[in-house]
Amino acid sequence: MYSILLLGTVIMFGSCKKFLDVVPETSLSSATFFKTESDFEQAVNAAYVPLRAITNNNAWVLEEMHSDNTYYARNTLFGAVDNTENVADFAVPTSDGITTNTRVRDLYRQEYQIISRTNQILASIDGVDFDAASKSNLKGQALYLRAYAYFELVRLFGKVPLHLTPVTNREEAALPLSSVDSIYDQIKKDASEAVTLLPVKSKQEAGRATSGAAATLLANVYIELKDWASAEGLLKTIVQSGEYKLMDDYNDAFSNSSSNKNNIESVFEVQFKEGSDGYNGNFMYAFLPRPMLAEEVETITHVSNPQPLSEEGNNIPTPDIIAAYEEGDKREDASIAYITLSTSLRDNKVYPYIKKYAKTHALQGNTGTDWPVYRYAEVLLFLAEALNEGNKPAEAATYLNMVRARAGLKATTAVSQSDMRDAIFNERRVELAFENKRWFDLVRTGRMKDVITAYGQRVVGNPLDYYYPSGAKPPSNAFTVLDTVYPLPAEEAALTPYF
Amino acid sequence: MIAAMHFFYFKRLLRRILPGVVTLITLMATIPCLAQQRSINGKLTDASTGQPVPNASITIKGSTRGTVSDVQGRFSLQVNNADSLIITSLGYLPQTVYVGNQNAIDLKLALNNNQLDQVIVVGYGTQRKKDVTGAVQTVDMGKLQDLPVSQIAQKLQGKLAGVQINQNTGQPGKGMSVRIRGQLSVSAGSEPLYVVDGFPIVGNIGSLNPDEIESISILKDAASTSLYGSRAANGVVLITTKSAKLGQTSINVNAYVGMQEVPKHGRIKMMDAVEFAQFKKEYYEDEGQPVPEEFQNPSIYQGKNNDWYGALLQKAPIQSYNVTIATRNDKLNAAVVAGVFNQEGVVLNTKYRRYSLRMNLDYNISDKVKIGFDLAPSYIYDNQPQTDGDRGTGLLFDALHTWPVMPIYDENGELTKFNQFPASTGNIYAYPNWVRAASEITDETNYINLLSNAYAQYEPIKGLVLKSSMNVQYIGTKYFYFNPSTATYAINVPIPTTAVSRRYDQDEVTWLNENLATYTRDFNDHHFELLAGFTNQKYNYARTFIRADTYPDDRISTIQSAVNISRGSNNTYNDMQEWTLSSFLSRLTYNYKGRYLLTAAIRSDGSSRFGSNNRWGTFPSVSAGWVMSDEDFFSNIRPISFAKIRASYGVIGNNNIGNYTQYALVNNTVNAVFGDNVATGAAVTSLANGNLGWETTKAYDAGIDLGFFKDRIQFTYDYYLKHTTNLLYSVQVPQESGFGNFNDNIGEIKFWGHEFSLTTRNTVGKFQWTTNANISFNRNKVLELADGIDRVYGSFNITEVGHPFGVFYGLQKIGHYENQKDLDNSPVIPGRSTVGSIKLKDVNGDGVITYGGDQDDRTIIGSPFPKFIYGITNTINYRNFDFSVVASGSYGNQLYMRHLYSLANLDGVFNMVERVKDRWRSEDNPGDGFFGTTVGGGNVTGVERDWPNSQFVGNASFFTIKNITLGYTVGFKSKSIKSARLYASVQQVYVFTNYWGGPNPETSFTTDNLSQGIDLSSFPIPRTYTLGVNVNF
Repeated sequence: MYSILLLGTVIMFGSCKKFLDVVPETSLSSATFFKTESDFEQAVNAAYVPLRAITNNNAWVLEEMHSDNTYYARNTLFGAVDNTENVADFAVPTSDGITTNTRVRDLYRQEYQIISRTNQILASIDGVDFDAASKSNLKGQALYLRAYAYFELVRLFGKVPLHLTPVTNREEAALPLSSVDSIYDQIKKDASEAVTLLPVKSKQEAGRATSGAAATLLANVYIELKDWASAEGLLKTIVQSGEYKLMDDYNDAFSNSSSNKNNIESVFEVQFKEGSDGYNGNFMYAFLPRPMLAEEVETITHVSNPQPLSEEGNNIPTPDIIAAYEEGDKREDASIAYITLSTSLRDNKVYPYIKKYAKTHALQGNTGTDWPVYRYAEVLLFLAEALNEGNKPAEAATYLNMVRARAGLKATTAVSQSDMRDAIFNERRVELAFENKRWFDLVRTGRMKDVITAYGQRVVGNPLDYYYPSGAKPPSNAFTVLDTVYPLPAEEAALTPYF
Repeated sequence: MIAAMHFFYFKRLLRRILPGVVTLITLMATIPCLAQQRSINGKLTDASTGQPVPNASITIKGSTRGTVSDVQGRFSLQVNNADSLIITSLGYLPQTVYVGNQNAIDLKLALNNNQLDQVIVVGYGTQRKKDVTGAVQTVDMGKLQDLPVSQIAQKLQGKLAGVQINQNTGQPGKGMSVRIRGQLSVSAGSEPLYVVDGFPIVGNIGSLNPDEIESISILKDAASTSLYGSRAANGVVLITTKSAKLGQTSINVNAYVGMQEVPKHGRIKMMDAVEFAQFKKEYYEDEGQPVPEEFQNPSIYQGKNNDWYGALLQKAPIQSYNVTIATRNDKLNAAVVAGVFNQEGVVLNTKYRRYSLRMNLDYNISDKVKIGFDLAPSYIYDNQPQTDGDRGTGLLFDALHTWPVMPIYDENGELTKFNQFPASTGNIYAYPNWVRAASEITDETNYINLLSNAYAQYEPIKGLVLKSSMNVQYIGTKYFYFNPSTATYAINVPIPTTAVSRRYDQDEVTWLNENLATYTRDFNDHHFELLAGFTNQKYNYARTFIRADTYPDDRISTIQSAVNISRGSNNTYNDMQEWTLSSFLSRLTYNYKGRYLLTAAIRSDGSSRFGSNNRWGTFPSVSAGWVMSDEDFFSNIRPISFAKIRASYGVIGNNNIGNYTQYALVNNTVNAVFGDNVATGAAVTSLANGNLGWETTKAYDAGIDLGFFKDRIQFTYDYYLKHTTNLLYSVQVPQESGFGNFNDNIGEIKFWGHEFSLTTRNTVGKFQWTTNANISFNRNKVLELADGIDRVYGSFNITEVGHPFGVFYGLQKIGHYENQKDLDNSPVIPGRSTVGSIKLKDVNGDGVITYGGDQDDRTIIGSPFPKFIYGITNTINYRNFDFSVVASGSYGNQLYMRHLYSLANLDGVFNMVERVKDRWRSEDNPGDGFFGTTVGGGNVTGVERDWPNSQFVGNASFFTIKNITLGYTVGFKSKSIKSARLYASVQQVYVFTNYWGGPNPETSFTTDNLSQGIDLSSFPIPRTYTLGVNVNF
């Protein structure tokens, strides 16, 4: 009896080492990944994913609400959103270049998600043998995404750590801050390579990075760095490529919840998908003023299950942006609409909200509207700007007027380089309103301090105009932090010896 | 796979042999004696009191025949004149009597004051209590059977020195936390290892019927636990299930019925409708705003209060029935326990039912070969509304914070569907009706548990025993949740809402094969025992989870009738987990004359969880004892009847570090969207660590056992010191790396403490009064965390080098700004502090109050750890009456009253604790100093609730009378019934405490050690009144 049992045992556990090797069955292990074309395809796909959280949750806070374009609609019944309010109020708590603001932290971390995932790909893709065309396409996408993320970071924060290889252990996790110049050098290198590696839009799967997108990104970098000649040349190739044109109606430039995605005007947009699969966005809800009753939600969204919205609405168009539209500009009605909130604590109960993303959809909080990153209209405005700065205002006017014509406006009256500069700056504001361009435009043109100081005086002086209920006021520290870059996140600072 | 197949065959095997075995028991019990014999009667009495001695075992020397005395001490037996009878009974000295030609044998049994001869269960064997060199405490479960509770751990509260047992929630069958000698860990759990009849089981013992258990041994020091190696660091609880006494055939029926309720005393005091309306009126007046119509005249709510919390409670029945049949002769030892337990909860729609069976069989094939089978299936049905949790997830918190002016019932007496006041009244959320949520939502779990052992034992030469066993544990769990369109646990969801179903099927199979050899030998006064063996264990887990929503009809909740099956990694998924463990173990036990004692043990564990560079861990221990009272020189020290000193040292581990923590995992569900297409994506989501290993605890123990006055007083003291190193911790790394954490073994925590136990037999004779008391002082201190990391944050806690683990962390409240002068001359929060608002301590002295960041003013504001815990049990026996009182307590522990962030939200958006009435209102009316001004809205009041501070730290010391039982035993002359005992019992009699945050000062919302001691309103522990009967046949 005993010997039988013992024998059984010996047979069952003959190889002890094997018995103790238990690998996960629900996930793959990095030791066996990055070996095939399909592995790299999947890895590249995953590198796009953080863009959803970036654009849905955070980029608009740091890049649009942190400007004179939008503000929050204060709901005094709700007290716990000061991280977002602080950004809009130019009151991000800052000490020694560090902040505890969670919006700043979250966006910083999400950008590095893209960098980490692309580093994994770029570190090993050359060592694996597969179809050359597919490899350049995948590598180009990874380079585009890495350049995109670093471009965001360097503009938001200035000096940041420059990770270019995958982190494999605890020691490698923290790097010293790199100079702004060296970060830009890397962005230009990555983006230039992406331009050559990637196919044009008509040859690429819709929604992925293209050579046109990489060229637009690179041109944007040149413009940021005031390298006008390089920008002009590059932008002209995009225009001449014939891959893009403006949609006839400005309304149609933006994706609907499940149609009109990646249209002929779209250069790059962050892809969302309506439905229960978890790829949806809901940023348009963050942009609705509150408290909003279910029936009020329904009038905007046409959802079948409207629910009331409490807490606080953000990214509410300011009187300033509303005033910036010229008489007869079709884009005003396409971009901004108004709603009366019956339970608002404000006397007139009327609020503007962003209309260009408020597309109808099926279920509350679940939208498939894409986020526009680069549109052809911006390519044209970039080109106009590059030409004007290259002292060719007349040629610049051609491209500026293409954008104005679509908006139902007459040709620009600006002639001098300086007038043309202002005209392009203002055109960018209204054409690209709520597309996360304003803060960067203010900073790179050196106009930020003047514009925001004046804007701050208006907000503090007339809180009722900025959607405060009567009696309520902006906090006393509003408009006290007017730095051109954000402080680095405190939670990261606590973990790295370098900042 | 192998395990599953094995399990399958094992089930089949059991199915085949079981009917045979049952027939066998019946036969054995009824075979008449065939020898030339006569009948003899007898009576056993206590030599000192003259009281009858029941349940003594009377066996015929040299045979396995025998009987047991009845409640009057009487017995009768078939004997030959040449026979001798051996009479043994727990607590009495054994006696042997020659039968001869006596017709009746009346014996007076002398008390065996030395209970140290008692044999107790230790790891991989048994030992005389006197010979034990480690820190081991045993509990005889027979004495705890009156306690009307579903879980074993509840019965042990207050009984064990050094063991902190808290009931975190009153949900039936759930929520017990057991912490032995203060052990805790960052992320590897702190529950002890449970070993049932030698089988280290997976999970806890919540599903085990307490009536199946005969005794429990708690192994506390490293020397006692080191044979459990990498799973021993949290202590080991050995559970021995019932078996029969030699010569006994007995049937026992134990049943009780009772009623549970939540006492009014102890509930958190909330505002009623009038008080709430009065608050709202004052709020708007103080703010200088017009009072909304609804609150202009608070007296209109007189008599219209809606106690939402009370509406969720009910009086609930509890009942338990157990039948135990035990029989033993020279071939067969069998015990069967069948039980039914049925408890409804004191929160609506809470039901817990357990049907259990246990069959333990041992069969001697010959003098040398023995086999045994245990089989214990059980089925549990459990429906529990989600009572515990944060606002919007836990019903009780939901109910507490709902306005008492919102009606539970409409004018027709129907439950309202949902409630919302106009936004002008400050109501920000729509509330579903919580009574509907409790009663209409299905939240049920069905468990099938099967615990089984089979062994064969062979003794080839005298003293050498070879034993091989196969143990299988199966847990099948089926979960089903359905919230119809009429109900939800969430706030701000109008009704009708989206109907949602969630369900999972889960299988867990563990098997363990153990092969042990034991050799016992005496050389004169030298006693040796040598144990060696190897074991293999494997665990397998698989779960399929499906979430579906949007049902057209609430009456049909099948998956196919849902419009959506939700994707997303937390909604619909498969999960699979597996681990394996291979071990070698060995122990040497030696004593000389039973006076000088020595034990050395070692276990080596190889685990699939450990990194590939670090597969095997070795866990040695040594312990020694000296029974001083056996020395000649001791006989002069009259009052001291027994004295033993002992000391031990050992190294033990904790391998609860997750199954695949060592690997860098690639998650292949990080999918992207391109246009209308979903493209599968894969991302590396964790960093690998091939060096990952177990947590190591090095533990010292020194103890003394003393008996005074012929052991009328017994005293035990232990001191322990432990250093736990290599704690598994997900070290945070800067996320510029793309990763949040790196799993590593880090840090060092020191634990030390003192434990005292005292048993005194205060009176003996007819009136017997015994007291058991214990008190323990457990301490810990973090000595080191990771390189560059000196603190780790929990929810409202901090773990920091130089301080105890997971203490409360936040701002220190010093009062309120009394007037403008005070505000001008004190540190403030820029833009937020006003006259009457909370005044916090400027810890860093920079003149500004800051939460978080570099200028942080947070500090340690309290501790969830008691300064000491204690328990006391008094037992009185007088004639046929027995009476006992069990109490336990804890002193110096605090709770963070997290629920106050809503229940003391001064903006009046939720209902509030009554105490808010006495808030600061003006310089002339500063209130009781606890809550600040309501003026200024969230910008001002938000500081009190959103910046965790000492205001929400409550003193949670308590002394609880856990149980009072009164019993009366009736003797019967009848052949069929031997005795019957009737008893009445009250459980959770009364909690003495100053804690005001809720009814349960034992609570802790999470078992995460980094965030312990947080109260979010848990299911109250009910007071239970029962009547029971215990009949022996």
